[in-house]
Amino acid sequence: MEIFALILTVFIGLLCFVIYFGLSNFVLDYLLIYKNHSFVYENSIRVLIFIAPAFIVLFVFILYPVFETVRLSFYDKFGREFVGLHNYLWAINDPNFRRSILNNLGWLLIVPTLSTFFGLVIANLTDRIWWGTIAKSIIFMPMAISFVGAGVIWKFIYDYRGTGDQQIGLLNAIVVSFGFEPQAWLTIAIWNNLFLMAIMIWIQTGLALVIFSAALRGIPKETLEAARMDGASELRIFWSIIIPFLERTILVIWTMITILVLRVFDVIYAMTNGEWQTEVLANLMYDWMFRGGGDSGRGSVLAFCIMIGVIPILVWNLYRHRQEQQYEN
Amino acid sequence: MKKIFIGIIALSAILLIPIKGVFAGGHYTGPDLSGQKVKIFGPWLAPEDESFRDVLSIFEKATGASVEYGGSDEFEQIINIDCKAGNPADIAVFPQPGLAANIAATGCLAPQGNDLKQMVLDHYAAGQSWVDLTTYADKNGKDQFYGIFFRVNVKSLVWYSPDNFEDNGYEVPETMEELLSLTEKMASDGNTPWCIGLESGGATGWPATDWMEEIMLRTHPPSVYDQWVSNEMAFNDQKVIDAMNFFGTFALNDKYVAGGSKAVATTGFRDSPKGLFTSPAQCMMHRQASFIPAFFPEGVEAGVDYDFFYFPAYASKDLGRPVLGAGTVITATNNNPATTELMKFLMHPEAHERFMSKGGFLTPHKGVDKSKYASDTFRGLHDILVGATTFRFDGSDLMPGAVGAGSFWTGMVDYTNGKSAKEVADAIQASWDAIK
Repeated sequence: MEIFALILTVFIGLLCFVIYFGLSNFVLDYLLIYKNHSFVYENSIRVLIFIAPAFIVLFVFILYPVFETVRLSFYDKFGREFVGLHNYLWAINDPNFRRSILNNLGWLLIVPTLSTFFGLVIANLTDRIWWGTIAKSIIFMPMAISFVGAGVIWKFIYDYRGTGDQQIGLLNAIVVSFGFEPQAWLTIAIWNNLFLMAIMIWIQTGLALVIFSAALRGIPKETLEAARMDGASELRIFWSIIIPFLERTILVIWTMITILVLRVFDVIYAMTNGEWQTEVLANLMYDWMFRGGGDSGRGSVLAFCIMIGVIPILVWNLYRHRQEQQYEN
Repeated sequence: MKKIFIGIIALSAILLIPIKGVFAGGHYTGPDLSGQKVKIFGPWLAPEDESFRDVLSIFEKATGASVEYGGSDEFEQIINIDCKAGNPADIAVFPQPGLAANIAATGCLAPQGNDLKQMVLDHYAAGQSWVDLTTYADKNGKDQFYGIFFRVNVKSLVWYSPDNFEDNGYEVPETMEELLSLTEKMASDGNTPWCIGLESGGATGWPATDWMEEIMLRTHPPSVYDQWVSNEMAFNDQKVIDAMNFFGTFALNDKYVAGGSKAVATTGFRDSPKGLFTSPAQCMMHRQASFIPAFFPEGVEAGVDYDFFYFPAYASKDLGRPVLGAGTVITATNNNPATTELMKFLMHPEAHERFMSKGGFLTPHKGVDKSKYASDTFRGLHDILVGATTFRFDGSDLMPGAVGAGSFWTGMVDYTNGKSAKEVADAIQASWDAIK
């Protein structure tokens, strides 16, 4: 019954769009050809007709929420009374907020760097060995797991039981077998951030690896052979040929992972929920926005901060993209 | 003509209310609500959700309506999202009245009628206090009655294994002094006295807030407790810091707590009591509310494998026998006939008795047949609940959400992880000041 309703909804939706495009196009043609009107901006109008729906969707689902978030950040927790900069001042004075910013910066520096680095190195190492494909598949596999799923798996890896008890956590089992004391890894402030980042790196290395492997194939064989003939060492080839060739790919992957990391949420939420000083902006935002009755004012301030953080990277990305296009033209 | 007609309807409605308000006893009978659908959203997961669904099946059979219950560990956040999105479930089961009050202030909940309120006043022991706990300011700041407490729990309990006590020659302590010396004795015998677990997903830290409340009630008069909960007395008052350090004497002593103090915050509160039943036992005692047997290992028997005693008060302080409790509040987000009728059904003894028979359910309802409780344990709890000299509601549930379900939890986690009580109390007070 519900599936039927769903199919019907999709069908009606598609039908509306077909009618909209067909009809508006027809009306424009009719005016132009049969009525012999001529418009100066004929092409612009046609373009406008076709992109209007996309613009409306963009406005409703992306632009409007942005403005609404900014508006709400100046209002009280119910979004009713104007409170000016009160919420922003609160954020600046909130130790959790400052901690989140620091943690986010740590994530931004470490995760994209290490994921890209590991991806690049492993892609090279696995490129010319017969079992490279198998190794790559295994390293890529975590990509298929959701962040929350990964969180649950790693929770077992980091699990802590008291000294003397049977350790069911992999890491502690190893540590204990070497004769050391078991540790409650997730509670060791500052270092626990690294343990959480390891999860993200574990997942994202697979992505970087696959893209780098494909890009490696794009390097002309002749160049590599020539280098070898000239007696260049493999390390020299890696630095002087492969890296320059892959420069663009490296940047693309770097930005991709950076943007992903900026809004890191799932891993933290599933593993520590921001306790033990692992709070990040996205989790803090979720907490303020929705926990304990919710506070749309403070939540919006935090959401706005995340947006401010993403914008420079997006702008830089767009700028680079433009430049490349000019270069190609 | 029309006016007379309306008058007749109004008159018959007035006449009907008292009739409906009185329970004939025995089985619930309701109006025909065939084809109606009621969605319920709450915090109960397995095994409580099955029991609740069983209760709801009585309603479904009697009225023909279909009721769907869904539960989540992240209730606190999801109810907000659903409300803001404008499509909350018809009935929301709140684990904390403080949260219900916050949601009521957004206008998402529908105030309930006087007939339901009268049912609570008539049938619950200390009815007025339960009504007060579900009366919140609405969107316009006007106090309204929003719902009923269904499934109450008593917190002031210590669970233990009678066999372990017998084997070691321990006796159930009657006073706090005895409890402290028993703890010491257990540790010197080489046993671990306590199992404490604070991990609870998105709600990690809450079991420690219960400890704090118990200690506050046992070291200070209830009026101090009330001032603390309302923040008339600052959170970083020396009295609160002392209470936190008192909790620390149990939780921060590696010899007193299973797994050592490092394990306290990372052990799941559901897994924690299992240490009572391992062989050799990981711990001798576990302080937790009355719902906890639901998480005991399968097959353990009440009165045989486990029992409980009242978390005792100091003999040297004249503070009576304070009892700390909590409960879930059932509220509605609309006043559809089926929703309203379901709320009334949940005040019917049959609904309570069915859940009672499933276990893990305690009620202040005076009209229920006590023999319906699944075990003597619960009959004992029922008596504690109805006969406390001082009854106080879970303080963290009454504090503003950002504190009681936020910085207080985080603070207690930080405390067990090595921060000083003063530092933690200062941070919690600062977070309270920030939202004032």
